[in-house]
Amino acid sequence: MIILQKNHEHKNHYKKIKEQDFLKKKISNGSILTISQWREVEHIIQAQEIDVAIEFSSDACILCENDKLSKVAMIQINFKTFKDGRPYTFAKMLRKKHNFTGELRATGHIIPDQYIFLIRCGFDSVEIEEEHKETWLELLEMDEGLYYQP
Amino acid sequence: MYKYSDTDKKIIASRVKQFENQVNRRLEGKLTEEEFKPLRLMNGLYLQLHAYMLRVAIPYGELSSKQLRKLAFIADKYDRGYGHFTTRQNIQFNWPKLPDVPEILNELSLVEMHAIQTSGNCIRNISSDHLAGLTINEIEDPRPWCEIIRKWSTFHPEFSFLPRKFKIAVIGCDEDRAAMLVHDIGIRIIKRHCQVGFEIFVGGGQGRTPIIAKKIKNFLPKKDILNYLEAILTTYNQEGRRDNIYKARIKILVQELGIERFKSLVEENFSKLSNKELEIDKKSIEEIFQYFRLPPLKSSSDKIPLEDNQEYKNWIKQNVIPHKIKGFSIVQISLKEPKKPPGDATSNQMKALAKFSEDFSFSEIRVTHEQNLVLPHVPNKELFNLWSQLKKENLATPNLGLITDTICCPGMDYCALATARSIPISQKISNHFNNYCKQKEIGNLKIKISGCINACGHHHVGNIGILGLDRRGEEFYQITLGGSAKEDAAIGEIVGPSFSETDLIDAIEKILNTYKKHKKNKGEDFLSVFRRIGIKEFKKDLYDNFTEKS
Repeated sequence: MIILQKNHEHKNHYKKIKEQDFLKKKISNGSILTISQWREVEHIIQAQEIDVAIEFSSDACILCENDKLSKVAMIQINFKTFKDGRPYTFAKMLRKKHNFTGELRATGHIIPDQYIFLIRCGFDSVEIEEEHKETWLELLEMDEGLYYQP
Repeated sequence: MYKYSDTDKKIIASRVKQFENQVNRRLEGKLTEEEFKPLRLMNGLYLQLHAYMLRVAIPYGELSSKQLRKLAFIADKYDRGYGHFTTRQNIQFNWPKLPDVPEILNELSLVEMHAIQTSGNCIRNISSDHLAGLTINEIEDPRPWCEIIRKWSTFHPEFSFLPRKFKIAVIGCDEDRAAMLVHDIGIRIIKRHCQVGFEIFVGGGQGRTPIIAKKIKNFLPKKDILNYLEAILTTYNQEGRRDNIYKARIKILVQELGIERFKSLVEENFSKLSNKELEIDKKSIEEIFQYFRLPPLKSSSDKIPLEDNQEYKNWIKQNVIPHKIKGFSIVQISLKEPKKPPGDATSNQMKALAKFSEDFSFSEIRVTHEQNLVLPHVPNKELFNLWSQLKKENLATPNLGLITDTICCPGMDYCALATARSIPISQKISNHFNNYCKQKEIGNLKIKISGCINACGHHHVGNIGILGLDRRGEEFYQITLGGSAKEDAAIGEIVGPSFSETDLIDAIEKILNTYKKHKKNKGEDFLSVFRRIGIKEFKKDLYDNFTEKS
């Protein structure tokens, strides 16, 4: 798998945290946590200079009013199916309501025809199979700039 | 009429290229059928019972002669010489081949047409009043607003994968000729304290759970329309059910939350997420309105030619209505000639109509949600001439609003979802009541026929609704009474046990006899009588063994 950010490919620096590490509160740079794990350790991480990420499933994109995201470097949304449109609205909410400024990444079942939609709703990057990279880039180029909404 | 801007042209051309790419990827196996399905649906391509079906958008039902000619060309070259006008002002071709579809889309793009978002779980073609801009009691022409909403909703990045399809209708006066109250969002232009704005309704729909839309906003200033639509769609996209396809429409969400709770969520999204750039300023409204100005209508004579021809007189009385400009008429073309599927037009009829619209109606044609066509600006003095030519093409059936002007879905003759045939039922009704005087005596009456519970034939809102069901391999028809799709919208009530195809016409006759028996005066139509006397009287006459309890 590769990470595509617009038309650049880059390496993935994030990895899901292992259960035993989390139990020991051994949160390292590049850990991916669930939202409930994040709520538990947020106060520890506030004092550390590390990049952590939170992962949501497309069918459970829920945040509370008092969730603080300023120390979150990346939010990853895992699409259970490409037909699930909730993450597009969630991305808008993250940017506009929760003022999230970190990286927003789409993973799981997504298709290249959705690339422009993802980017326009506030996603920065997608995790895709390397062999499909050309199709993703081709469709993004085809779609770029061709839309009506601001 | 609206004319494409450079941006419109680029977007449509790119879409054609993109769909070609999608078809190729599908044929090469790079897209699974599951992945291809929503993409082809977003381009109007369905897989039906026997073949693919392509649904082409006719935004707010407006066509130019050039566009209609192109539709005739497509019907001849890629289909079987006909097209079917639908209840949402679109046209369907029933027999295109998958590899031909990109080329058809390319042909359409040459006349500023497309099939974008005529299907799939996205915002569909915006529909409107087919008499928009033509009547005296209109507050404002709804078409420019439809165009503004069309642009906003096309390839909307956030709302292209909704829980379910989403339909919006806009009307510009009190009379509802667009079934606005059975749409996911219904918009009515209103005037309050000298200010023109919108009244917004939400959560209407038919299908297996028919619901009349509820009012969510009494008055919305014009500039806020897109932000308010975004707020509704945001709420729906986030909260709408995705666990059960039958509970995924916005009507179910509104019903489950209650309109007050739903409204408070929408208002919160509206206040917190509104985007200044989506506000519409006066200048851009004026620019769009320029496209919809009336053609230069000047007539030397107001008089409608008097001819001693009963058929012509009947047609004038039934199908022709006054235009807001003196000396002109609105001519309604019935696509319900006997023995033909309602809403079908042959390519020859389309070509003839394109010519008539150029000769008599400033090259403009409208499509109605009741599956008929309209020539909107015909000089009165040309009416006999036009009628004579329409007659030669079997386009002068004088039955607008009468019992044979049925709405009917394609049913089991075409549709993969249908449980019974609907076209033959409509034809039986047509043949049985094929006498103008007999129809006129019955008066205004809307029969709507669906071949399954999905209600594409709008049976719930028919004055008489007919629903085709399958009972152990045999077709049966359930009758509902008292529905209406107009401003007094109502869902029909089931009258009782269903009828076999053989007994159906007899049942309709009995229903009509009850109506005639209770009719107080000549002008009292079926729906008024039904509302006055209730369903019980009809039941009594229809079922021999009817008792108070049943």
